[in-house]
Amino acid sequence: MCDFSGRLIAWMDRELLEREREEIQRHLAGCPECREQLAAYEKASRAFDAYCEAVFTEETRHKALRWRSVAGFAAGIAATAAIAVLLTLPTTRTAPVQGVTPPEAMENAAARTTDPPRVPTQLDVAVEAAHTPAIQLKRAPRQYIATPLRTRTEKGVPRQRLPQVQIQTLTSFPIEPSIEIAIPGDAVFPPGAVPPGMSFTADLTISADGLPEQLGLRPRFAAFERTNQP
Amino acid sequence: MSGESVRLARPLTRLATDAYETTTLYHDLRKPLARYLICLGLSADEAQDVVQDAFVSLHRHLAVGGSHGNIRSWLFRVAHNAARNQQKKYERRFSATLGAELDSIVHEATPEHVLLEKEKLQRLRGAVRLLTEPERECLLLRAGGLRYREISEVLGIAISTVGDTVERAIKKLAEKCDV
Repeated sequence: MCDFSGRLIAWMDRELLEREREEIQRHLAGCPECREQLAAYEKASRAFDAYCEAVFTEETRHKALRWRSVAGFAAGIAATAAIAVLLTLPTTRTAPVQGVTPPEAMENAAARTTDPPRVPTQLDVAVEAAHTPAIQLKRAPRQYIATPLRTRTEKGVPRQRLPQVQIQTLTSFPIEPSIEIAIPGDAVFPPGAVPPGMSFTADLTISADGLPEQLGLRPRFAAFERTNQP
Repeated sequence: MSGESVRLARPLTRLATDAYETTTLYHDLRKPLARYLICLGLSADEAQDVVQDAFVSLHRHLAVGGSHGNIRSWLFRVAHNAARNQQKKYERRFSATLGAELDSIVHEATPEHVLLEKEKLQRLRGAVRLLTEPERECLLLRAGGLRYREISEVLGIAISTVGDTVERAIKKLAEKCDV
């Protein structure tokens, strides 16, 4: 046993500082005992790695580890991406009083969540009219419902209708999900640059290897579409 | 105007960059993560769930401006803690699973392989059982390509402790493999 034997494993793992590394390198050249030890450590290390791989292969072989991968993970991204968009929008309105949730909005949100899933081969994340500074998130399994908080108004004055936000994910994921996010135009462009009531649909395609492939904005008149909603 | 695509504004492109980063990481790290969890004794399904959850957490972490520094150990830590929460389950299964699996690997190998591999794997199985839990965890993380610094972050122990533990574990294995 020489003085260097205690540092051979750290050396093998490249965890030593350069000076020490060179020192050991020089020592190894002239010390057969250490070289032999090092060879044994390397063998043990490789054996353990092979052993891990064997355990992994065996456990996953029969199960055919199906990565919900792209699809499932993309759903996670979709939901978080949509939420993050909402939260990073510039806020020009005064912050509403916290804790007031319009009953009709909740009803509306609840009614929509019971809608039958649309085309099952499509992952839909629909966020409507996102320009609101305070959003309340309720979590349900695989479903996110965000209801904007309403500004408290004086008695007798009709309440201003604030947009609702809803993010919906389907439980069966396609190979190439398409995500739809609607954003009011004045949240993205300078004030006055887009006509009131116009929003944009952002198309984001995630390819089979999990990378976002296509990004684009399609303008649409949110006000017109909203009146079509029951 | 409708139907035409126009260039995206900044917030979404930033998000797309994050998504790109996360999906690339997912591609590179899902297997090492799953392998780590399975070697800890989780089933393939459990491991897959933990990995998915870890990546969704990572995406949230990045989306709210979380640190981009050392994401690999961040992910392993999240996965490790999730596995810890099932500790009872995996402690019970660890030895049983490994034993059963190795036997079936051995059975399905080619005849020439059998003699060599069987002996080798049996010895290894015995040696791995002799490792303490921290030793096993350190070696498993090391096998996943983590540096000592990252291992120390995942397990919440000092780097010097990681070095000592790895050394002890490797020496134990080397001794057993050599017999």
